[in-house]
Amino acid sequence: MAHVKEKRLPSRNFAERLGSMLRVDARRMFGTPLFWICLGIAFVIPVLVLVMTSAFGGEGNAMFTNTWQIIGSESADLGAMMNINLMYFMMAVFVCLFTAEDFRSGYAKNLFTVRARKTDYVASKTIIGFIAGALFLIAFFIGGVVGGSVAGLSFELGAAGVSGLVMCMLAKIFLTAVFVAIFLLMSVIAKSRSWMSICLSLFGGMLLFMMIPMMTPLDSGIMNVGLCLAGGAIFAAAIGAVSNVVLKKSSLVG
Amino acid sequence: MNAIEIRNLNKSFGSKQAVRNLNMTVPQGAIYGFIGENGSGKSTTEKIICGLIHENSGSVKLYGRDHTNPGVREHIGVLIESPGCFPNISVWNNMMLQATNLGIKNPEKEIARVLKTVRMEGAASNKFRNCSLGMKQRIGIAFALLGDPALLVLDEPINGLDADGMRIMREVLTDITRKDGRTVLISSHILGELEKIATHYGIIRHGRMVKEMTAQELEESCRTYIALKTGDMARTKRLLQSRYARVEEDEGGYLRIYDLVPSRVVVRFLYENGIITGEIKSARINLEEYYIDLMQEKESSAHREEQAPHAPYTEMEGR
Repeated sequence: MAHVKEKRLPSRNFAERLGSMLRVDARRMFGTPLFWICLGIAFVIPVLVLVMTSAFGGEGNAMFTNTWQIIGSESADLGAMMNINLMYFMMAVFVCLFTAEDFRSGYAKNLFTVRARKTDYVASKTIIGFIAGALFLIAFFIGGVVGGSVAGLSFELGAAGVSGLVMCMLAKIFLTAVFVAIFLLMSVIAKSRSWMSICLSLFGGMLLFMMIPMMTPLDSGIMNVGLCLAGGAIFAAAIGAVSNVVLKKSSLVG
Repeated sequence: MNAIEIRNLNKSFGSKQAVRNLNMTVPQGAIYGFIGENGSGKSTTEKIICGLIHENSGSVKLYGRDHTNPGVREHIGVLIESPGCFPNISVWNNMMLQATNLGIKNPEKEIARVLKTVRMEGAASNKFRNCSLGMKQRIGIAFALLGDPALLVLDEPINGLDADGMRIMREVLTDITRKDGRTVLISSHILGELEKIATHYGIIRHGRMVKEMTAQELEESCRTYIALKTGDMARTKRLLQSRYARVEEDEGGYLRIYDLVPSRVVVRFLYENGIITGEIKSARINLEEYYIDLMQEKESSAHREEQAPHAPYTEMEGR
């Protein structure tokens, strides 16, 4: 045949491919109202909770007597989930809606048809979900500080100390990777059906949510951070590999 | 080496067999018109080629390599179902996302180039959701053209377009096929449009490839016919049917004789039977008519097979 076109796309390694996909995902994430709504909610919840429970709780009956109670507790009961740990539920909603949009719009189809490898996609989505989750936690933390100040609550850290608080936050951030990987797995299973991925994520995550207060108490130490970092990385990689297999084995369109 | 080579491809969805032992060859540089009725397996085949769904068995090779090979996938551009854009983002930004993912150097220049090719320069700042169907289809083609792929797979790019949209799309398709010299696999129901650009054809029915041929072979296969009108069409039809093997009435009210016979012989035959021919012309069937003929032929042979007695052997065995 007379016309044989030569390829014009430059060849790229994994880092370059991941870099460009991350740029796209970051641009999308910061451009979507969903992210800013979630971030806003993450900030407002602790402010409202601290201010309202202080205002209506009455003397001696207030749910929170110390600002940092909304960040972490030193126990691991169900009540220990009623704080910053709620953000993991919001991460589920965000990751599922964000990923479902890829499949609903046909973006994922464009991606996989031509260039992207499934591994790049899973890695990029996990990293972006991790960044979003970390930002939600930080927004909640700032909201907690603002709420505590407005409510006039104590900022006394007690035995945990500042280092315990910092370690607690770091541990929670690193633990995000595990949950984001689970939510992403559910999302690639459900594809464009966001309702299904959210249900699966909340159900699947529910089994692990109780792990959060145990792994990240307010008096966390370097051991907690190390465990969450290592666990986050290992689980994210392992669950990411499963997501990769699901993408490879399943149809990407109806 | 062929651009696409499919051998014994099978795909089923539950109990429904969408593609059966399909063989298909698209030579490099061809504009391959992929024709078939709804549900015949065109889109399924294209989705398999593009790696969007997985085949049950068979092989699909693009430029001699397995279609799942990431290296070979870089050579293709695709428009299947929809362009795959985020509705709330502008056309330009949607294309920037895709160009970034593709790793295109100097994406602004490339986007401007493909938008110009599809005559969408003026709509770059429009939000995708505000674009008309015709514009969306052209944006889809622009997406497929990013990175200047060697092979384009276009699934029904002209469906649902109005006359003006169709005209623009025809010009765009002509540009990206004939002028640019890339291989194009294009499925469409609008055979009249396809006939203007295709160099090869593949006709699929019930998931099987019924016929593959070049435009030249089609030209040779398309029989000529004589179309005529008389004052007494009913009697003319009866008379002609008594003499010729295939006589049919077309949508324009003409009687068509498909037998190879000179016009003057028909006119004389009718005259001898007291019928004056009012109008007579000779023409060649087009792709659409050829396709309908072929489908009817396949339908009736399938019907004959169904009705054929396969009893004796079974009956004897039963006894």
